[in-house]
Amino acid sequence: MSNAIIPLLLDSLASAALIFFAAVGLTLVFSVLRVLNVAHGSLYSIGGYVAASICLFIASRQLNPYLSFLALLFSAVCVAAIFGPLIERGLVRWTYGKSEAVQILITFGLFLILEDLQRVVFGVQSFYEDAPMRLLGTTSVGGVVYLNYQILLIAMALLVVVGLRLLINHTRLGRLITAVVTDREMAQSIGIDTNRIFIVAFSLGVFLAALGGALATPTSGIAPGLGADTMVLAFAVAAIGGLGQIEGAALASLIVGLARVLAIYLVPSLDAVAPYAAMLIVLLIRPYGLFGSVTARRI
Amino acid sequence: MTSRGISIGVSRYLSSLERLFRLDRGVPQGKVRWAVDGLAGALALGVVAATPAAAQDKPSALGLGIFTFTSGPAAAYGMPGKNAADLMIDEINAKGGIGGVPVSATYVDEAQGAQGVIAEYRRLAGDAKNQVMVAALSSANCLALAPLADQLEVPTVGWNCDTHQLLMDGKSKYVFRPNGNTVPEFIAYAIYLLDRKPDLKTVAIINPDYAFGHDAAKIFTAALKALKPDVEIVAELYPKLGSPNYQTEISRLTTTRPDVVFSNLWGADLENFVRQAAPRGIFTSSQVILALGETVLQRVPLPDGVIVGVLGDGWWMSPDAKNKPETVKFAEAYKARFGEYPVFPSIKMANALIYVKAAYDAAMQKNGGKWPTRGELAAAMKGSKVETLTGTAQTRADNDGLVDQIVGVTVKTPAQQSPVIGDMVRYKGDSLMPQAGQDPLAWIATLKPEFAKSLPKPGSYK
Repeated sequence: MSNAIIPLLLDSLASAALIFFAAVGLTLVFSVLRVLNVAHGSLYSIGGYVAASICLFIASRQLNPYLSFLALLFSAVCVAAIFGPLIERGLVRWTYGKSEAVQILITFGLFLILEDLQRVVFGVQSFYEDAPMRLLGTTSVGGVVYLNYQILLIAMALLVVVGLRLLINHTRLGRLITAVVTDREMAQSIGIDTNRIFIVAFSLGVFLAALGGALATPTSGIAPGLGADTMVLAFAVAAIGGLGQIEGAALASLIVGLARVLAIYLVPSLDAVAPYAAMLIVLLIRPYGLFGSVTARRI
Repeated sequence: MTSRGISIGVSRYLSSLERLFRLDRGVPQGKVRWAVDGLAGALALGVVAATPAAAQDKPSALGLGIFTFTSGPAAAYGMPGKNAADLMIDEINAKGGIGGVPVSATYVDEAQGAQGVIAEYRRLAGDAKNQVMVAALSSANCLALAPLADQLEVPTVGWNCDTHQLLMDGKSKYVFRPNGNTVPEFIAYAIYLLDRKPDLKTVAIINPDYAFGHDAAKIFTAALKALKPDVEIVAELYPKLGSPNYQTEISRLTTTRPDVVFSNLWGADLENFVRQAAPRGIFTSSQVILALGETVLQRVPLPDGVIVGVLGDGWWMSPDAKNKPETVKFAEAYKARFGEYPVFPSIKMANALIYVKAAYDAAMQKNGGKWPTRGELAAAMKGSKVETLTGTAQTRADNDGLVDQIVGVTVKTPAQQSPVIGDMVRYKGDSLMPQAGQDPLAWIATLKPEFAKSLPKPGSYK
């Protein structure tokens, strides 16, 4: 087992990176809009489908294969630009101020619609396009061959954590978002266009979900049902980190990634339950998550 | 509206009701579901008893309920089956149908889960048009449907149904499997492996986390231990069915440095695993066995030397199959219509439909050309021996099938774009099956190395 420690850690980081992309958008949207978007997983898989389709197009036209890296980013931007404003203005805004049950039911309805939409548009067969993975080659670590693309994913996840923190702490948009998160009514009263902030924040959440799906495509298959699995895992991560906490999502992704990888290495039969066992333990000790805090209910 | 029409309507309504409850919005559904199940079952029984087929009228059309996966990751295995059914039904109808009756199929997507599949089975069985069910692909669904088939007295042909547990009690009257099962299928791999790599010491297993994956691991391991007791299983991984990502599992397999990696992943799971494992060197560091590897030969670039098979004899390019003009014609028609050559799930489905047609022909021959009842059809299936596209399907007294097992390794040939199966062996179906009623694992434990030595060797099937 001692020769497996470095691979175990590297696998945990790689696993955490994939989970993080799925969870961070969910937690960001919750922090600003106070809406738990159950359709978040569908947006993740749509990002994957669009990225795979563009990469397959690039391959079929024998264009420069390195364009597929741009395609991953471009697909996430497209999905965010189309679905973000459409869903927020068309559906989610009607749920503001409503009970959590109503919000969850409405976004669950959206989830079902998006899942069927994917079947209609992309069919029921599995999608796979691994050009970006093949282009980057492999590296041997501790006798185990890793894809350099997996290491790129870890770097990208770190970049997103830092980028989001910079956006929120050091830009005007970030300060506006912070104001809305802190006190929505006060922000409105001092002239902040909260509707615009909601559209931007929701679209940013969609972008992160779609980016997660797009980045996962070269190392994973995309098939119907992926959205549901992703959503459940993303919710577990967001709950562990504390809903609305970006750094919390990052740390929780690490915990969940480590739990899953440890299970696969040591007790494979617990692979599926390990993330949720981790969630259970954390929530028993800290009911609001690692970075969450009790907030007073305003009347 | 006739009383039968009312019964069918109510039965359908109850099936819909059951599907509604399947949404699992709360716990207190158990009693309701039992009640719905009971009512639907009683109504379906009533309808079945009242069908004109019981009076042996020749129907205007013969309906088949065909169960397969048409969505989700398992569709990569299920759709070739559906495609083959479409093609084979067209071929049967072009030749005048079965006994002059045209055949049509209603497809049920198994991806909806066992409760939905059961409800659909009841609904179809309640329609007099549907005389036979070709069900199912998933072992779990086969096990769920078997009691229902006997309860409703509907001949049900397991076109895939690998689990050896399906007919173990030998009591079923209406469930038939014109295929091998997990016992001969995975013993065949153990014997082939030991012939090809007699000095192996360690084996790692990665199978899907449900009955098929666990049963296969158990049988393969038991056979290896019986034939070469010093073999050590260094890792057993069971990722969830439908997992899109196997990177951690691949790392784990690599760290154990096994001589052999065995897997019966299938469908999109298998495609994903191969695509992810190949660049990480698993195929060069270990001898890999992909029990269902033939299904991905045309889709993913498998390297040479991977042990693959077809869980039976359903390799359309096998020497026996290539000697049959109808098989070559079927394969070319399949390629022309669907853009790929048939894979073994396609052949299994086509063979299952040939089996159904042969049973009708035999039953009608026996009763003077009259249209057979469901009971007469089932009787014709029992003990039958049917020439299929790729060999012979023999039905034992316990309704289980005996078909040969073909195993080989991937090789590239100048004649084919994709790798094909080379260095083949064809084990006789009955040589790898325990007797009816015998505990398979206890039987495997009695196998001796001399047993393996008595069987044909890799490369002997040319």
